[in-house]
Amino acid sequence: MDLSSQLPLLLGLAWLAPLASFVAILFFGPRMGQHGKNAAWVATAAILTSFVLSLVAFGGWIGSHPVQAVSHGAHGAHDSHGDEAAVGAHGAGHGPAAHSPIAYSGDWYTLYEGGNLKLSIGWYIDALTILMFVVVTFIATCIHVYASGYMHDELHDVTDHEVHLSGGGHLHRPGRFPRFFQALSLFCFSMLGIVIAGNLAMVFIFWELVGICSWFLIGFYYERKSASNAANKAFIVNRVGDFGMLIGLMALWGALGTLHFADTTTTAADGAATTQPGLFSLVRPAAGGHALRVPDGMVKFAAAKEVAQIAADHAANPADAASEVASKIDDWRSMGMGRWLLFVAGVGIFCGCVGKSAQFPLFVWLPDAMEGPTPVSALVHSATMVAAGVYLVGRFYPVLSPDVLLVIAYVGAITLFIAATIALVANDIKRVLAYSTVSQLGYMMLALGVGGWSAGLFHLVTHAFFKSLLFLCSGSVIHACHTNDMRKMGGLARVMPWTAGTMLVGCLAIIGAGIPFVIGLSGYYSKDAILAQALSFAQANPAHWILYVAVAGGAFLTAFYMFRLWFMTFAGRPRDHHIAEHAHESPAVMVAPLVALAVLAVVAGWTLPGGFGLANLLEQARPAGTESTMTGGFVFGGLTFPAEHESHEGAIHVTATLTAFTTAAAGVLLAAAMYLWRILSPTLVAYMFRPLYRFLANRWYFDELYHAVFVVPALGIAKLASSTDRGVIDKIIDGLAWSARQLAGIDAWIDRTLVDGLVNATANATWHAGLELKKLQTGHLRQYVMFIVVGTVALFVLASLLFRTTLAG
Amino acid sequence: MNLVSASWLPPLFAAGLLGEPVSVTHYLVVGAILFTAGIVCMAIKRNALGVLMGIELVLNGANVNFVAFASPYLRGEGAVSLGLDGQVIALFVILLAAAEAAVALAITLNFYNNHSTVDIDRADDLKG
Amino acid sequence: MDPTASLTQPALWPLTAIVFLPALVAAFLSLPIIPKAREEFIRWTSLLTMAVVFVLSLWMAWPQLFGATGPAQFRLGEPGMQAVVKLPWIDAFGIEYLLGVDGISMPLVVLTTFLSMLAAAASWPITKHVKAYHVLFLLLVTGMLGVFVSLDFFLFYVFWEVMLLPMYFLIGIWGGPRREYAAIKFFLYTLLGSVLMLLAILMLYFTSDLRLLSDDQLIAAHVVSPAVEGAARADALTAVRSAKNPVHTFNLLALAQLGQLPSSPFAAAEVWGMSLEKWAFLLLLIGFVIKVPVVPVHTWLPDAHVEAPTPISMILAGVLLKLGGYGILRICYPICPGAGLAFAWLVCGLGVVSMVYGAFAALAQKDFKRMVAYSSVSHMGYVMLGLGVWSAVAGNEYRWDAWAQGVNGAMFQMLAHGISSAGMFFMVGVLYDRVHHRNLEEFGGIFNRMPVYSGLAVAVFFAGLGLPGLCGFIGEVLVTLSSWNYSRTLAVISAFTVILTAAYILWAIQRVYLGAEYKGPHGDHLTPITARELAIAAPLVFFAILFGVAPQILFNYVTPTVNRQVETLADWTRRVHDAPPVAPAVAQRGADGVGSR
Repeated sequence: MDLSSQLPLLLGLAWLAPLASFVAILFFGPRMGQHGKNAAWVATAAILTSFVLSLVAFGGWIGSHPVQAVSHGAHGAHDSHGDEAAVGAHGAGHGPAAHSPIAYSGDWYTLYEGGNLKLSIGWYIDALTILMFVVVTFIATCIHVYASGYMHDELHDVTDHEVHLSGGGHLHRPGRFPRFFQALSLFCFSMLGIVIAGNLAMVFIFWELVGICSWFLIGFYYERKSASNAANKAFIVNRVGDFGMLIGLMALWGALGTLHFADTTTTAADGAATTQPGLFSLVRPAAGGHALRVPDGMVKFAAAKEVAQIAADHAANPADAASEVASKIDDWRSMGMGRWLLFVAGVGIFCGCVGKSAQFPLFVWLPDAMEGPTPVSALVHSATMVAAGVYLVGRFYPVLSPDVLLVIAYVGAITLFIAATIALVANDIKRVLAYSTVSQLGYMMLALGVGGWSAGLFHLVTHAFFKSLLFLCSGSVIHACHTNDMRKMGGLARVMPWTAGTMLVGCLAIIGAGIPFVIGLSGYYSKDAILAQALSFAQANPAHWILYVAVAGGAFLTAFYMFRLWFMTFAGRPRDHHIAEHAHESPAVMVAPLVALAVLAVVAGWTLPGGFGLANLLEQARPAGTESTMTGGFVFGGLTFPAEHESHEGAIHVTATLTAFTTAAAGVLLAAAMYLWRILSPTLVAYMFRPLYRFLANRWYFDELYHAVFVVPALGIAKLASSTDRGVIDKIIDGLAWSARQLAGIDAWIDRTLVDGLVNATANATWHAGLELKKLQTGHLRQYVMFIVVGTVALFVLASLLFRTTLAG
Repeated sequence: MNLVSASWLPPLFAAGLLGEPVSVTHYLVVGAILFTAGIVCMAIKRNALGVLMGIELVLNGANVNFVAFASPYLRGEGAVSLGLDGQVIALFVILLAAAEAAVALAITLNFYNNHSTVDIDRADDLKG
Repeated sequence: MDPTASLTQPALWPLTAIVFLPALVAAFLSLPIIPKAREEFIRWTSLLTMAVVFVLSLWMAWPQLFGATGPAQFRLGEPGMQAVVKLPWIDAFGIEYLLGVDGISMPLVVLTTFLSMLAAAASWPITKHVKAYHVLFLLLVTGMLGVFVSLDFFLFYVFWEVMLLPMYFLIGIWGGPRREYAAIKFFLYTLLGSVLMLLAILMLYFTSDLRLLSDDQLIAAHVVSPAVEGAARADALTAVRSAKNPVHTFNLLALAQLGQLPSSPFAAAEVWGMSLEKWAFLLLLIGFVIKVPVVPVHTWLPDAHVEAPTPISMILAGVLLKLGGYGILRICYPICPGAGLAFAWLVCGLGVVSMVYGAFAALAQKDFKRMVAYSSVSHMGYVMLGLGVWSAVAGNEYRWDAWAQGVNGAMFQMLAHGISSAGMFFMVGVLYDRVHHRNLEEFGGIFNRMPVYSGLAVAVFFAGLGLPGLCGFIGEVLVTLSSWNYSRTLAVISAFTVILTAAYILWAIQRVYLGAEYKGPHGDHLTPITARELAIAAPLVFFAILFGVAPQILFNYVTPTVNRQVETLADWTRRVHDAPPVAPAVAQRGADGVGSR
């Protein structure tokens, strides 16, 4: 079977297996064995299936595209690969030497189609996708196995000691074992959805879905106020990032009309195939040697006024207008039109990554997310979901302009520094790891930002192994001690040798330990690559030397806080004897994943003789146009992004490796001095730098700041809006109704007093006149006779006076 | 002839009229005297019978006028008279007066039976 | 007499039955022979009627489900008006009994019958004057369905008013403590809208002249029924042609044809310095946006919802609000395209303001139902925005597909909101039936007390939140994406709403469903969901998911009609609006339209 149809099938199935498990547990979870015990097996089986399928796909891939050492010599062979996007079957023909990524893409399913616009569910598979599949499913499998042991408390009724009821007691509730695995399965499905996504819309869909899974998992102990708060915080902070991402999507969609990464070929009923270019080839057209340029659509969008003018001039003949617009596009492009649009698109998409990967300024949610069960922290909040941001930056790399890359680099640098400083003083074992995760993600972002595409993603993979290992170890410790507070631990190495050993491996891996230039743990390779690229970048752009300092300083801080953690937990004498006595090594079902991950934490960075290794595998997916030095920058001036292979040159590489080794060693030594050999008293140091210590212990007051700057005003505006409704709009409406009633009242008054009054007054006058006249009717006949006489005479007199003329005749 | 004109009053009082041959004017004077006497009688008599008599006088004063206007001789040459119509109306008035007197007397009698008096000043039941 | 006026038109009885069966049953129920005490019988009759009507509407909309395809049934993919029924009604004014469905109205009709069926089932807890309640309820359904299917403006208006009165009583009699206030507020607001609408109807009627239309247009607009052939057709056409005075019409299709003529009589007439077209558009728009509702004429909605009984809230949010959007789509834009283009900023602006304002207001609410009501204001803002970008132009490039995306998104949002808002109100109602309060601060721990209910409720609320995989997402994302081409500012503000939506929905979920224990009164009444409630909630959740993962089910209906309408109007803009200047007035308007972009 052809690879181009095989891969989507295999990975598609691997993607859907966890969904099936989710649906099964959703409907039948509680009926799966006693208290849903078998739900763990269902979920584990599903993710194991995914892992196996991913492995098969991986095997198929390296069978067709052997991973070899990449020779960095012959560039300039682009012109021979006009069909570089390698859609579908076209890609199969390319060898790894081709300096365009080997990728397969296509659509499974259309969500919306109108005109040329199409939103769909599809795939984009290259070496990176497959690698991520293998990594995610492998770690997820380990964590599923681990969790089936870790979560066993949930198999029977649970007393939650952290929830105090109003009655004074603790909460008793039935266990939620199946619920946990249900959410975990949904998470795996969503995460794999991001990885396989063939377009940005699909990324966004699964982006939101992992967000909601994270919400479920952080809020797994939803009876705890802190847990539900943390869950909400995580989701809402992520939505802030998604807000930016949505803007990025709109900028792309509005101007380019597509969100597909790769070109899509549609075959009409008559067999004529039309190819619609995807984002990658729009931004880096093969015709231009994959050099970044503002796509036509964006230029046209920015030049809307000019386009309108041309269209108005050629109103009679639209075809002329179209051709004139087409001829002007290059002029407009050279005038810089549409650059801001590309910048907005890149920064917008990066905003989403900032939220998901917990970068500054949106990193505040991740430490709180440690409220979730530890397996969740290991899977979702260290190895996979938070790495999705880095993954997306890597995936979206061809579209990012130099300015955006610089923004990314600085955000990464700031993040790695802030998070590392906070980790120095944190006492909650999981929070130290959480800040460490944030810091390491900052590393990856920085690496991507300084042009180290492969370095950043390499670190993403190695970090996934050792950080999930570290989290699982911490889970094992917490499982044994029933506390997160490192100040109550100590000396656990004796009772928990496996945990201590594997965690030491993890710590060594994260600080990048190794024998310089000979061999090292996985982190040694990835961190070196980052350092080298940062140095290379700093040399090319001396104005940005601070980035290199951040990386080197970060390495020192990492070494310090990681070994502080290890020493406080495992070395020395127990600080709390009650806890130490009850501590025990975890069951085999939890230790086995630790060992598996530890092995990978050691070997993941190795390159086998012949060139088989992660770094070279990643090279197969390297975005077109990034293998050579890139220069440019519209906003921040001329920037040079040295090609990554240049950082492997001796001068840079040796400096970087030695820096890494020295800083890490210094960090470890300082940690040992303070926490192992106790030459320096930590409390004394804390006392000496009291303001600084308090500043760090309060996490730079970010939570307080955000609360004051965003939450309070938002709620204030909300109150304002609500009270505007009741106080202003409703008052106006009620006022209108009231004035209508008043008006009616006036009307009624007019009716009553004026109109009725007139009628009544007439009647009254008549009545009174009658009363007066009545007096004349005396009943005396003789008077009547007198009246008659007098009246007649009077009439005569009157008539004679008035009608004299007429009667006189 | 102008009855309404005030010009005929002075000659009447200047006794110039008495020297004239008998004409309508003389009859009219008699009728007026009768009429006035009747009115005065009606106005001043408290006895119902007296009032009735006054009424008779008034009616007959009018009759004299009718008869006078009816006579061609009295009207003189060329003047238009009522002719026989005047006589007929006078007869009609006499008839009416008789009927009226009968009814009035009956009322008076009834009044008397009820009030034991014919003083019309006591008959003020119709006062408004 | 028109030969097609016979009673043999294929769609006559099905459409008439869908519209009038509820009214007929209402009349039957109101007979004195039905004793008031037989409440169960009345409830079942009402429910069964709605079920029959639902099946009938489904028979029309989805013939494949019933096997054979008859001439009265809906043909998918055909953009034009189908199943047209045409009978003379008031000949003197050319008023006809003219009904028909197309891709815009058919899904709304099915949504209405579906929700009405569920609402009838949700009416069981109502024990006060059951007979009167169901009579009014069925009348309301007739009114709503009539609005969606009538193609005669006068008939439309009649149904519009028919719908108003039962609603007033349903809120005013069966509502909560402040029901009189809420009912009168609802009534006055909507009455104001109807009065302005009537004004616009008369303006359009007396300006219209059928003689301006070509033969083909007359036939397309069903002024002369396409079913009439040969000599009869010629006679009918001659009758229009030979008239000495203008032939006025209430026919919505014909009015649309007239409005899109290069020499549109509506654009030519001028009233107080503004074209009649613009006046009519504005008056109709006010009438419709009150129903939608948009800020600042939305305050009837929270009150009406809070006071209305649960099933009426479902109908109100699920169907009544859609009438506004439907009216704008069906009437405002096709008849007054020039005004639509000129006032696009107004429609979009109102939509965006509603989105943000409604979301903020929802965030501040303490009353559960009020919060849901404000979420409706916010969600219907998307509909307005989507309809508004209809007339958006990017430069002079008429990318009709970007407009069509906005309108399709708005249509989808209407249908999705019909499902999710009805669901949300029902979910609030389930809780209210048990504990008789809606104070958000006094819930908590419902998840542990009523797990099945809470699971369904959370799903429905997530649909409201616009989570992918649920129905709320598609409409929102299509509308938001399409708005960028119209205005960057509005697009950014509309995207900003996603944060607020997440905030208020998640916060509400946290306060109601999560937490350790229930904090309010009547805690012992929190019994698990009953079978009847499940039978109402489950279909809503099912459709929320179905439309979320398979939006094409709806798009198959909506897209052909919407796309054709948008294409027609895009063509109109190019042909008429931006045409080389013929008369100075036209040139002036053309220049304005381009310059403002």
